[in-house]
Amino acid sequence: MSLAEHLTEHEAPPETDFEAPLDNRQRIVPAIEFSDVELAFDDVVVLDKVTFRVRRGETKIVLGGSGTGKSTIINLILGLIKPDSGRICIDGEDVTEYEEPEMMRVRKKIGMVFQEGALFDSLSVYENVAYRLHEEGVDEDEVEHEVRRMLRFVNLEDAIDKMPIELSGGMRRRVGIARALVGNPSIVLFDEPTAGLDPPTARTICELAIKLRDLEDVSSIFVTHEMNNLDYLSSEYAIVDEEGNVEFETEGERLCLINTEVIMLKDGKIAFSGKDEQLRMSPDPYIHRFIRGK
Amino acid sequence: MNPVSKFLYELQEIAFLTWRVLVGIKRGPRYVTETIDQMDEIGVGSLVIIILTGFFTGGVLILQAYPTLAFYGAQTQAGQGVATTLVRELGPVLTALMVAGRVGSAISAEIGSMVVSQQIDAMRALGTSPVRKLVTPRIVALIVALPLLTVASDVFGLIGGGLVAKQIYGLDTTVYTSSVRNGINIDDVIGGIIKPLVFGVIIGLIACHKGLSTQGGTVGVGKSTTSAVVSASISVIIADFFLSKVLQTLFKTTLF
Repeated sequence: MSLAEHLTEHEAPPETDFEAPLDNRQRIVPAIEFSDVELAFDDVVVLDKVTFRVRRGETKIVLGGSGTGKSTIINLILGLIKPDSGRICIDGEDVTEYEEPEMMRVRKKIGMVFQEGALFDSLSVYENVAYRLHEEGVDEDEVEHEVRRMLRFVNLEDAIDKMPIELSGGMRRRVGIARALVGNPSIVLFDEPTAGLDPPTARTICELAIKLRDLEDVSSIFVTHEMNNLDYLSSEYAIVDEEGNVEFETEGERLCLINTEVIMLKDGKIAFSGKDEQLRMSPDPYIHRFIRGK
Repeated sequence: MNPVSKFLYELQEIAFLTWRVLVGIKRGPRYVTETIDQMDEIGVGSLVIIILTGFFTGGVLILQAYPTLAFYGAQTQAGQGVATTLVRELGPVLTALMVAGRVGSAISAEIGSMVVSQQIDAMRALGTSPVRKLVTPRIVALIVALPLLTVASDVFGLIGGGLVAKQIYGLDTTVYTSSVRNGINIDDVIGGIIKPLVFGVIIGLIACHKGLSTQGGTVGVGKSTTSAVVSASISVIIADFFLSKVLQTLFKTTLF
């Protein structure tokens, strides 16, 4: 069974770039690129000449303590705030100076998973996931089909008629992920999606991110300060077995994971950029303390 | 930031918001369903309190004015006084103040809560303009609903005045009705409709602006809600003065 067939029958995620592979020239263009981005609020420097790039199909894990500018990076990508200087490119398109109407177009190819889910309280799970499609005036039958596919992907189809207030924290995040995936975004941004969740639920969220990376070719930024997330995302990968089931294997059993990198922020600057193995071996006392907690 | 700078900054932000609302109305997308829902929420939802406010205001006007008018032998003019006062001033202003309290606070609290829970950011991330989706429907609904509520308030105010005049002071209903007709003309009615149109814009813009600029979690929502009601109420009263002057000049009328 092919992956596409598997996805249709079991996971039913969005039809993505996987089914329509990018040509080589397109793949060279980074999904996200920051060049010397600076941002300050009054006298407080939030980001200081931050430079990094996220390749196609890559997950960039952004680590750092509270207030180091992790979420700011995501807000800059979405154009919710503008940098003081530097350049931000999405899919090779310089969006630094884009006004709101132009950013609206760019945002259509970005899915965003917020820390607390940020579900619309007055809308049901169905309406939340269908939000983007309703805004685009898609036919209701098609909307329902897509919403059910997305909710199956996050294992929450049973909650389709519930209101956000009736959901647990983990379910809210998963609905948030389903909502972010509607419209088949090629980039997904995770803003501390496991904060405050129990370990099994946090693991479920990470597995969804891994599936998006390995089975959907989605480029993503995963902002977190939890080392468990780093372990899952940088050492495990998803495959589809012969029966069509998604399996998670650990790096080293068959191959080495190359599509996940880490950057660590400290006082608005990038203190580290590289693989998780390099991070763990870093002699930097700040990184050492962050990883081991002492 | 000193108070003057803060005031100018707020004024600038409201001017920008006004511009974005106008652009939104012109270019779309237009959220007709949301606008109708808001009309229901604002108009139908406020109807009872507006009727009660109008009814008892009309009643108390007669209650206080009738003895004085009777002293001068002008009690047959009681209806005229109530009609002029209600239609020109108290109807529009009291209705706007009640709506500022009930609807302005609700708008500010709702949008403020959406800001602090990142729902506004989520809306933008999903490619929707919060101004077009949330602000424009509320302002359009206020512009439509407030004049209608004002008319309801005026009518029930006149009914309240008539009932008090009849039941407490024994004034004949025909005399009261005739006096009411003499008291108001078409200019008063037009002026009484123009005012709530402006008040609707003021309440909507201030409430939405305060909601969108909410900071600091749930405490911030409380602050922005209070600020929205206070600012909208004061702005309505100040705007009423200048509008009255403009309308007096325009229609060449004076009170009484």
